[in-house]
Amino acid sequence: MYPFFRSLLVGVSALLLSTGLAFASDVAVSNPKVRLMPGDIPSAGYFKLHNGTNETIKLVGARSDAFGMVHMHMSMKKDGMAHMKAVPEIDVAAGEDFEFAPSGYHLMLMKRSAPLKVGDEVVITLEFEGRDPMPVSFKVVSPAAM
Amino acid sequence: MSRLLFPLFVAMILAGCTGEDWRTQDVSDVLPPLDFELVNESGKTVTEQDYAGKATLLFFGYTHCPDVCPTTLARLRAILQQLDSTLRDRIQVLFVSVDPKRDTPESLSIYTDAFGPEFIGLTGTKAQIDDIANRYRVSYSYDEPDESGNYNVSHSSAVLAFDDQGHPTFMAIQSEPNEAVKADVTKLAKMVGKH
Repeated sequence: MYPFFRSLLVGVSALLLSTGLAFASDVAVSNPKVRLMPGDIPSAGYFKLHNGTNETIKLVGARSDAFGMVHMHMSMKKDGMAHMKAVPEIDVAAGEDFEFAPSGYHLMLMKRSAPLKVGDEVVITLEFEGRDPMPVSFKVVSPAAM
Repeated sequence: MSRLLFPLFVAMILAGCTGEDWRTQDVSDVLPPLDFELVNESGKTVTEQDYAGKATLLFFGYTHCPDVCPTTLARLRAILQQLDSTLRDRIQVLFVSVDPKRDTPESLSIYTDAFGPEFIGLTGTKAQIDDIANRYRVSYSYDEPDESGNYNVSHSSAVLAFDDQGHPTFMAIQSEPNEAVKADVTKLAKMVGKH
């Protein structure tokens, strides 16, 4: 391959990845949102993860420069009580989707280290076992908007 | 036969006049009237009498609840936004913290402001909170703190509704469809001032 085309391809791939697009045969995230709470109150991150590869992927956590602590959590209901527990890892089978959505799985975002406001974009990096970490740009939304 | 049936008939009419048909769960015969002594967002002691004249949606939670509490409050906000302003002004949402250690009046004020003027935060001493929680059979418990001292609070997640006289009306659990909750909140707002 001509060096020019190779660098063009690399450039285009990097551009596609950095804008959140991904190839059909890859891992993709759609609708990433952070529901921003005021003050030092923890916020929550929601998104849909698509495993377009042909093997199971294992999500093992997330980190962000904007938050001192990011945990994967799950809300549960038992006997009319709302409970929450930390989730150490999530398997997503080949071709499957996994959704972090209100009243279910969420990223609990604590100890905000940078001021954020509604409309901002914030990068949260998803971490997988045996795969490169995946930086995702989350849109910051108002709690009233979800 | 008519002599036997007549009282029954009257009783049925009376029941029909006083009872309301709620689409969510009817708790009018199950829960006691609104009654509490708590601390408001300014740190002042308040009772249910300070909130008389409007219908009340009562919800127990805590501000460090990242998922279920904002989701519930956002749903109530979305429903209130769909009402016309006359009806919306007849409703107040009282958010009672079951985590007084972390939820100061100030933090509750910041928290409820994120949802709108109808949302009012209340906290209190552990004894004051236990009083209202026990009264409405609301349970809560604290999980073990993690390494950084952060802890989750498990809590009842239903919304309890009272008319403007403080009488219990309906209870909406989390899984209740939006349409049913909206229908009942609308009906509750329309009842205000009709007694």
